Amino acid sequence: MLAETMGTKAVRAPSWKRLGSMREAGLIAIILALCIAMSFASPHFLTLGNFRAMLMSFSVEGIVVVGMTILLIVGGIDLAVGSVVCFAMVLSGSLFLAGLDPWSASLIGILASALIGAVMGFFVTVVGLNHFITSLAGMVIVRGLCLIITKGTPLSLFTLPPAFKAVGQGSFHGLPYVIIIFVAVVVLFDFLLRRATALRKVFYTGSNEKAALYSGIRTNHVKFWVTVLCSTLAGFAGVIYMSRFGAATPTFGVGMELNIIAAAVIGGASLNGGSGTILGAILGIALLSVVTSSLVLLNVSVYWQDMIKGCILLGAVSIDHFLHKRKAS
Amino acid sequence: MRTFLSTTAMAVLVMAYSAAPVRAAEESPFRCEPGEKYVMNVMVSGVEYWFPVYEMFKQAGKQLGCETAYTGTPEYDVNKQIASFDQALAQNPAGILVHPMNSDPFIEPINRAIGQGTAVVTFAADSPLSKRISFITSDNIREGTYAADAIAEKLGGKGEYAVLENPGQDNHDKRVTAFIDRIKAKWPDMKLVGRAASNQDPTKAYQGLMSIIQANPNLAAVFMPEANSAIGAAQANKESGGKILVMCADVNANILDMIKAGEVFGSINPNQGMQGYMGFILLWLAKHPELIDPMNDAKRAGFNPMSIPFVDNGLSIVTAENADDFFWDKYLKRRGTKGIEE
Repeated sequence: MLAETMGTKAVRAPSWKRLGSMREAGLIAIILALCIAMSFASPHFLTLGNFRAMLMSFSVEGIVVVGMTILLIVGGIDLAVGSVVCFAMVLSGSLFLAGLDPWSASLIGILASALIGAVMGFFVTVVGLNHFITSLAGMVIVRGLCLIITKGTPLSLFTLPPAFKAVGQGSFHGLPYVIIIFVAVVVLFDFLLRRATALRKVFYTGSNEKAALYSGIRTNHVKFWVTVLCSTLAGFAGVIYMSRFGAATPTFGVGMELNIIAAAVIGGASLNGGSGTILGAILGIALLSVVTSSLVLLNVSVYWQDMIKGCILLGAVSIDHFLHKRKAS
Repeated sequence: MRTFLSTTAMAVLVMAYSAAPVRAAEESPFRCEPGEKYVMNVMVSGVEYWFPVYEMFKQAGKQLGCETAYTGTPEYDVNKQIASFDQALAQNPAGILVHPMNSDPFIEPINRAIGQGTAVVTFAADSPLSKRISFITSDNIREGTYAADAIAEKLGGKGEYAVLENPGQDNHDKRVTAFIDRIKAKWPDMKLVGRAASNQDPTKAYQGLMSIIQANPNLAAVFMPEANSAIGAAQANKESGGKILVMCADVNANILDMIKAGEVFGSINPNQGMQGYMGFILLWLAKHPELIDPMNDAKRAGFNPMSIPFVDNGLSIVTAENADDFFWDKYLKRRGTKGIEE
């Protein structure tokens, strides 16, 4: 045992080299370069307040990114996440307004979101439709449900008890609970995706479904549960948003899926399945947030912001792709 | 006999008097024919902005004894809205009050409707090159101007301010431009320090305002041309000490609660109910040009003499003092109606 440990130590590369060999190294370098450039361009960028603001702005969305990344790895995609986030908000909110306590209402909201995932999973694995079209239909149906529940009117949840609002608005020794929850979700799923057998099957299924099937993995089972997981995390994010904003609007989360998918893909997840990491996806959404914040701090005209943001992201992904390709060869 | 005669005379008199209003009503030209139907047509039909419009459209319809219907597409898609417009038109209504999502794609459908004898009035958005009879809207320039004055007066004419925008949506762009222009012109001691695109998304509004606050710790006010962004802006303000005046446009129950609680300073709200009421009246008049003998060349030139090209439906400044008057659910309860479902 000792010899084995010593042997391992002997062949282990220095930590900076191991860091450099990580799939996410290129993205980390790009984010760092952007941060350094911005610290010269704006004295307000490199401040604790700004970093806290950036982290807060993508923490809840980051929870949805985790689910989407795992789903992308298995070879799926979920266009309904924005609608499901909204659905969990409005369902929980309306149950609360009907007299249920917000904790139970939120639990029901999350379970209902999981049920939506289960229905989509059913259509994918049993009926045989693909994820794209199933979730496209899901996106429209669930958005319709949001309108039915709210009758088109935003729900005012001003009377939510302070203990519930604290989840989205409070902090523990200065560290917002939202960030704590986000970090916990990221660490948990990153660990599970790297170490847990059940989630390793996600990679095998996404890489080569037939081979995975022949090797005894119940691929449909894996795809079903990953679809459920993605919707559940979206529902979880929805109730956090409800606590954070004290409101539930039927138009919340429109277009969110594009940001989520973009973050995961920037972070290295493949739309063909089989590759991706939670860390990479989180770096992807962090990059989006840094770029957005930078453009505002630099007072860039709002008419130019989208175009510049798109160009920066295209450039960043191209550099990352080039670095990864060179490393692989 | 005298008693009989006087009783009979009295009875005739009473009958004549009691029948008089009925006859007057029957004879009033301001009544619909049986089956005369007017419809309202919108895109994103589930959005609450339309509900007060239709509610008051319906009120006008009932007063004139007309049938009304709410139509449209739940999607933000001009093709689908045109399809729903065409479906409504196929039922040969007397008039359509339409919010054309885009102006030019509606030229042909509106002209076709006019050609088949259906009056068309546009509201909140226009199709100026079409043959629509009238256009009723709130004045976005005035909304931005009033918002600027309300904030500047509250700040004593001094301080830094920012705007959160929704670039590309015409009425929102007009409100923002008017807001900035007014402050530049009337309140020279106020300085614009930041602009961010929030696109009606509370999370983007939160991040945008947070970034602006980092660069401008003395920020005193922020304006946005719609209500959704105010949810995120108010949260950013709360986390940054709560010293910023948050001002938006449009209202909903949540924003009204926030205004009452002091988290949002106020909102500029177009009187969209009047768009519905006046929109109906404009349609009805356009459908009944025979009511007047025009003292102009309308008959010779072949245009509708009952056309009023433009109507401004006005606006309200909503603050903590009057917020209670703008709750939609309370209004519906008071009116005892089912809103768009009837």
